Amino acid sequence: MEKTSDPTSTPARTLTTRMDRSRAIKNRITSISMAVGGISVILSIVLIFFYLAYVVYPLFLSAEMEKTTSYPLPAATQGKTLHLAIEEQNRIAVRFTEQAKAIFFNVTTGDVVENIDITLPKKTNISSFTTSRLAKGFVAFGLSNGQAVFAQHTYKTRYLAEGKKIIPSLFYPLGKNPIEIDRTGKHALTHIGLMHDEEKATLVAYTDDNRLLLNQLVFDDELSDEDNGDTEEISFDSTQIEIPNIQHVSKLLIDTSQSLLYVAHNNGEVSLIDISDLNDIQVLERKHVVADGTEITKFTFLTGEISLLIGDSKGKLSQWFPVQKETGLTLSHIRDFDSKHSAITDIVTEQRRKGFAAIDDKGQLAFYHSTAHRTLLHEVISESRLNFLAVSPRADTFITEDEKQQVQFWHINNEHPEMSWSVLWDQVWYESYPEPSYTWQSSSASNDFEPKFSLMPLAFGTLKAAFYAMLFAMPLAIMGAIYTAYFMAPKMRTYVKPTIEIMEALPTVILGFLAGLWLAPLIESHLPGVFSMLIILPAGVLIFAFGWKNLPKEIRQRIPDGWQAALLIPVLLFTGWLSMALSLPIEQLFFNGDMKMWLGENLGLHYDQRNSLVVGIAMGVAVIPTIFSITEDAIFSVPKNLTFGSLALGATPWQTLIYVVILTASPGIFSAVMIGMGRAVGETMIVLMATGNTPVMDFSIFQGMRTLAANVAVEMPEAEVASTHYRILFLAALVLFIFTFMFNTVAEIVRQRLRKKYSSL
Amino acid sequence: MSMNNETTKSHSIDISALGREQRSNTLADETICITTGNLNLYYGEKRALHDINLTIPEKKVSAFIGPSGCGKSTLLRCLNRMNDLVDGCRIEGNVQIDGNNIYDKNVDVSELRRRVGMVFQKPNPFPKTIYENVAYGLRLQGIKSRRTIDEVVEKSLRGAALWDEVKDRLHDSALGLSGGQQQRVVIARAIAIEPEVLLLDEPASALDPISTLKIEELITDLKERYTIVIVTHNMQQAARVSDYTAFMYMGEMIEFGDTDKIFTNPGKKQTEDYITGRYG
Repeated sequence: MEKTSDPTSTPARTLTTRMDRSRAIKNRITSISMAVGGISVILSIVLIFFYLAYVVYPLFLSAEMEKTTSYPLPAATQGKTLHLAIEEQNRIAVRFTEQAKAIFFNVTTGDVVENIDITLPKKTNISSFTTSRLAKGFVAFGLSNGQAVFAQHTYKTRYLAEGKKIIPSLFYPLGKNPIEIDRTGKHALTHIGLMHDEEKATLVAYTDDNRLLLNQLVFDDELSDEDNGDTEEISFDSTQIEIPNIQHVSKLLIDTSQSLLYVAHNNGEVSLIDISDLNDIQVLERKHVVADGTEITKFTFLTGEISLLIGDSKGKLSQWFPVQKETGLTLSHIRDFDSKHSAITDIVTEQRRKGFAAIDDKGQLAFYHSTAHRTLLHEVISESRLNFLAVSPRADTFITEDEKQQVQFWHINNEHPEMSWSVLWDQVWYESYPEPSYTWQSSSASNDFEPKFSLMPLAFGTLKAAFYAMLFAMPLAIMGAIYTAYFMAPKMRTYVKPTIEIMEALPTVILGFLAGLWLAPLIESHLPGVFSMLIILPAGVLIFAFGWKNLPKEIRQRIPDGWQAALLIPVLLFTGWLSMALSLPIEQLFFNGDMKMWLGENLGLHYDQRNSLVVGIAMGVAVIPTIFSITEDAIFSVPKNLTFGSLALGATPWQTLIYVVILTASPGIFSAVMIGMGRAVGETMIVLMATGNTPVMDFSIFQGMRTLAANVAVEMPEAEVASTHYRILFLAALVLFIFTFMFNTVAEIVRQRLRKKYSSL
Repeated sequence: MSMNNETTKSHSIDISALGREQRSNTLADETICITTGNLNLYYGEKRALHDINLTIPEKKVSAFIGPSGCGKSTLLRCLNRMNDLVDGCRIEGNVQIDGNNIYDKNVDVSELRRRVGMVFQKPNPFPKTIYENVAYGLRLQGIKSRRTIDEVVEKSLRGAALWDEVKDRLHDSALGLSGGQQQRVVIARAIAIEPEVLLLDEPASALDPISTLKIEELITDLKERYTIVIVTHNMQQAARVSDYTAFMYMGEMIEFGDTDKIFTNPGKKQTEDYITGRYG
């Protein structure tokens, strides 16, 4: 380079500059591709996070509603309204009137589509009215002659040239002949209640001479509740009884199994009557359900006919259902809804969810959800008293009728009323449960089902699985790593370390499969053996070590230093076999031949075959390589001069290990544990296959669990896209993501701190 | 560090020029602390020490010098059995300290090492506070009394000429100190447990000249109380700090005697060649 004047150096120089340039280019390419790689990793994690958040976000939105049209009451001259309803397609609504008309009208315009007379016997009029099973459109009319008529409004869709047409009709499932409830024929039915299924129907009625009558019809053939076009008469056996001593009745309801009768009284009390045995009718309870001086103004079932919704004259809304206590069935107050209503005029439940809407005499309307204990919407929509409300089967539209006989038609967007913080993380009192609980039970075949979306059992299960896995893996992995790094002969270490590390490549599905199908039955049949192994195995090792130490030196010196551990392999195999072989005798001797039964009887522990013990072992095996490998590296990389420094001060190798080596390696050991923990928390296949996936909140080692990850894997295929269930599964995934993110972040922060404090030279 | 900078060009070292008073030591006048008898050491098949016979006087500074790989550090490590930690290392012969063979099978190695302290070439403070570093040896012995430990820590740090520099930050990490300070913490740590012998394995070779000077002054102070054996390949350092010097070559003890004599009038040709820089 110095001899620039020399012409012979020119080729060399160009070569050098060319090499410089190519080196610079390589340098650039490398740094750019590394930057791109790094940024895309961060970007993809952020994207995953935001995608999860994007899917979850709609859960937290409130309901919105929008007024579509308003029109005068259709066929207003044909009597006052008894009941309003909208059909599935949101095209036609129906108004039942006191003059025994079913007036079907276009829900958008208010034009009458069809006006059907309800067939009544001559010279009678309607004296009471009730609905049952809103979703099926059943209505019942009590008549002035003590009889009752039972009808159903149904809709058929026809596809005609001009488009889809919906044809409403009225159907009489029990035939057109009225059913006789009061045999005297003189007294009007002032209140009526009805419940029925395919096999039987129960009708209760209160007469104008203060008698409470019950009529049960048992069908000879199964009742079909659809209008099939045949008007074949239904035959049934009828039982009639009178329930004595019940007076001042204002509302009557019968539960879905037709075994409980709820009677609301004028003074704000409710009687709970057991009607499951007609020969032995018992009044179980009579209690106040509203404050003194207030009246029950609306008394209705939530979808599923288990919960009662009670609205009173002061605008309070509450939910009640019967709960089995020691003293018997008692009607229990479940929750009040945060309502700003004045006197409630109507409560209408959604037909496919546990939501409902209420209106009051000041023109206010509000939507609620019972399980979520949430008020989704509250608005004043009319200046006068609102009398009637109908919510469509899909709960996306509703109509109201007010005092001025004006009908309003609204659209409502209320996708996820089931969601609230308390649903996810608090104890919720679900229908038919004896007390509030954390429960995950997301789906069932029926619309009446109350979905239980508590993430607590899942989060609990996740941590429980991780806990038992760590309980198994941590001591083994860390102790093994300490021995391998600190005591083992270097040659042996070169075999042991890669062997354990390669276990990490074992697909977890295989581990899960082995755990579920081989290990779980083995542990179940050798339970005492598994526990005796905890004693026999260490005892065997200690006895062997003691014996070894007392052997003559000549024999001992044949094994090179650091290889002694290999001698333990047959010892461990033998003691392992021994404890398994001793399992049966131990079980015979101490546990009356069956340890599972003994556990159940003496300790009250229920034994699941696929339990936390199995998961702990299987998942422990999965995380051991991770923890082992990182811990081993950390301990092995503790500088030798620290070890020597300590030994030179007169420390024993053990003291050196405890006070210097482990201390210096602590950041590495800590991050090994946290990374193992992160892995155990996110692990899916093992818990999926090695547990029963029961979302229980029980810390017992003999019980299974369901983890967040396994839950997503199990339920995602069956969740309807964009449903609440689907979004909550995404929320579970987000929670899992945050869990692992938290673990790793905490691990990293603590590791940095420890490293700063204990980093060696 | 190599000796080239300092000694290659000069034929001998003028000891008076180093400002050291002329003394005359003879081994016969001294109380003997350590003796080795026909000490042989093998690393596997390789023989690293050949029949070392040596007597080290009490409360004096003895220096081992010699070219790299001559076995001086190995010999030093024999004196507190640190070689036991080396794989495939085998020792024949005996080492007696105060008349007891330390290779006897009844000897408690930890107890031996407590009596024969050692400081290594590279400062190796533990990742603990300065205080805890110095207190480490006491805690190993199960001493719990806070007052005793406080006193010993202060005494040891004063003994290591470090007290004034660190007394306000005793509870800071020792890793925050400079190399020279770290080495003095390590010396304080070693003297805290009151050893009889202090082995220094090139204690200043990783340090800057000023730190080196401080360590050397410290060694001179410490010999009042401890028998000191120092390995160094800096001959000037050996000349400055030691009373007796041993020259080793190829695993053999060539010559051992009064430092002045070794440096001014060596008895063996090999010693003279080494000192005058003919090889190394």
